Amino acid sequence: MFRTDEIIKASKLPPEGVAMSRHIDYIYFIPILFVTIIGTFHMHFDLLAGDWDFWLDWKDRQWWPIVTPITAITFCSALQYYNWVNYRQPFGATITILALLAGKWVTIVAAWWWWSNYPYNFVMPATLLPSALVLDIVLLLTRNWTLTAVIGAWMFAALFYPTNWALFAYSHTPVVVDGTLLSWADYMGFLYVRTGTPEYIRMIEVGSLRTFGGHSTMISSFFAAFASSLMYILWWQFGKFFCTAYFYMTDDRQRTTKVHDVFAYGELVRAEKAKLAGGKV
Amino acid sequence: MNAKNVFKLWVLGLCGTATLAFTPAFTTPAFAHGERSQEPFLRMRTVNWYDTEWVGKKTAVNDVTALKGRFHLSEDWPRAVVKPNRTFLNIGSPSSVFVRLSSKVNGTPMFTSGPMEIGRDYEYEVTLKARLPGHHHIHPMFAVKDAGPIAGPGGWMDITGSYDSFTNPIKTLTGETFDSETKGTASGIMWHLFWGAVALFWVGFFMVRPMYLVRARVLAAYGDEILLDPIDRKVGVAVLIFTLVVVTIGYFSAESSHPITVPLQAGETKVKPLPVKPNPLVVEVTHAEYDVPGRALRMVLHATNNGTQPVSIGEFTTAGIRFTNKVGAAKLDPNYPAELVAASGLTMDNEAPIMPGMTVDIKVESKDVLWEVQRLVDILHDPDQRFAGLLMSYSDSGERFINPIWAPVLPVFTRMGA
Repeated sequence: MFRTDEIIKASKLPPEGVAMSRHIDYIYFIPILFVTIIGTFHMHFDLLAGDWDFWLDWKDRQWWPIVTPITAITFCSALQYYNWVNYRQPFGATITILALLAGKWVTIVAAWWWWSNYPYNFVMPATLLPSALVLDIVLLLTRNWTLTAVIGAWMFAALFYPTNWALFAYSHTPVVVDGTLLSWADYMGFLYVRTGTPEYIRMIEVGSLRTFGGHSTMISSFFAAFASSLMYILWWQFGKFFCTAYFYMTDDRQRTTKVHDVFAYGELVRAEKAKLAGGKV
Repeated sequence: MNAKNVFKLWVLGLCGTATLAFTPAFTTPAFAHGERSQEPFLRMRTVNWYDTEWVGKKTAVNDVTALKGRFHLSEDWPRAVVKPNRTFLNIGSPSSVFVRLSSKVNGTPMFTSGPMEIGRDYEYEVTLKARLPGHHHIHPMFAVKDAGPIAGPGGWMDITGSYDSFTNPIKTLTGETFDSETKGTASGIMWHLFWGAVALFWVGFFMVRPMYLVRARVLAAYGDEILLDPIDRKVGVAVLIFTLVVVTIGYFSAESSHPITVPLQAGETKVKPLPVKPNPLVVEVTHAEYDVPGRALRMVLHATNNGTQPVSIGEFTTAGIRFTNKVGAAKLDPNYPAELVAASGLTMDNEAPIMPGMTVDIKVESKDVLWEVQRLVDILHDPDQRFAGLLMSYSDSGERFINPIWAPVLPVFTRMGA
């Protein structure tokens, strides 16, 4: 079904090398890469978009669809660079969001439920997995990061609200308490006491987007898509910066050259040693 | 490593283990939440709480109870604190041990925040439903945007029973009844699991093949033509279509299940302050000092009784702490936390009532270890050494008059006459 044999043959690794590479895959991929993404991206995301994702009564139609995708696409883009440019693996965004949600759910169960006693529905996170899948697939199909920034990043942001409406539509059901109209989410935020988070902390429905005939969600999503596209480009370049490996070689005439081909390193060192030993490469 | 070093390490290890083993025996749970660490000027010169009442100090899970009282926003509001242009009456509690069903300030429901006026009084009642069993320290709390929360006096409330029996059904405007503890949980988790499964399939589709080293070598040597397996593109297109279809179905399904929705409500609550009550007593602080070794705030009051009845001073309250004399002690609510009351902490050089038409200068001393215990003595470290509070006085007929008082405070570091 796959081209695996052809690829292994082209790698010119001996069978024990192939077997070892699979061990490295598993050790590197799960305990190192996945956990590192959880640790770094979870913190990054929570610092920038945390409250919108923590609390039901922050999930408005204006700021939530803007802040969340723009924040989330950052690491997705950098990890796409790393996985695509170095290995042609089209799952950088998906693994990033999977790791984010793994960290999220650890926090929800351990911190919000077990430690702070908030019900799960009050601290239910949004999901960006469909957005991430689409972003990865657009990169796979176009093989072009610029097109991915234009098409994939726009879809990444645009899909966010409809995806999560399935989870949170109920929370916009109207409730009347003491003669006051609230959404269910507003009342949840009022019911469950947060001593350090008074109501005015919420950044919701602030600004003049509501002047667009009440279609602020569409405007927010459109703006989020545009900003996500720019973010994608910026963080792709971050990925490039942090993934660029090189070393310096000094030749017989003491000229120092910057060498980008890291796979040549072993070959070059072997050649140097052979030369020193008087043998042939 | 010689035997001496081994012995040293062994002793160190033993000490460490013993410390860890005995730690639980010497630790006590933290019941309160640091309200005393708020600076004195925050607690004394912003919100002057009074008549705080913890209704139903012992409740069972699902019982409805209340926290109510009044507060005065001090005229001596500190320069360092943002004015109360956007405020929210909150509850200080260790997590949501109660759910807050309703909150009214001067009879106005306060679900969102709003402005309040300095120098005016407000009456609040917060309806609470017991949720988590335990012994909980509960405060009224006044949060000011850009200044932070200001804790009121804390009282203990006990909840018995089991959390498992807690329910909180709420009827929506569309006629459905949801339980706030569970509504949306199952469907939310289901969607997360569903998309997690799709994402795992996508990543797993590439995990079953060599992932990193092999592909990196091939890419470096030959470029990506070999690596881009045609089946990847086919599966990619299938997953793309599947994802878009499911998102669309999920969206329209949610729309049809919840056809009537409203945006989050982000308005501002406008609360009118309580009407100013006629007060025949006019009080001004002409001098105030804090006696550090004596733990006493001494002040000279210039008071005039413009009324028709004699008036007796009975209480000075600040930061939720109450200093009373016999007159004030007789009016004390027995349920008010005893640790916040100095029942005989208020003395005056002239205890006689202020007669109608009389103007007097009275030396008043509020003295108690509470100044130290509640860390109000830290006023000496404030950048603006002033105090504020409420002076309660009573007419012969039992009517209460409340005078906000405030003044700069001079520290006295040695005992008078020493």
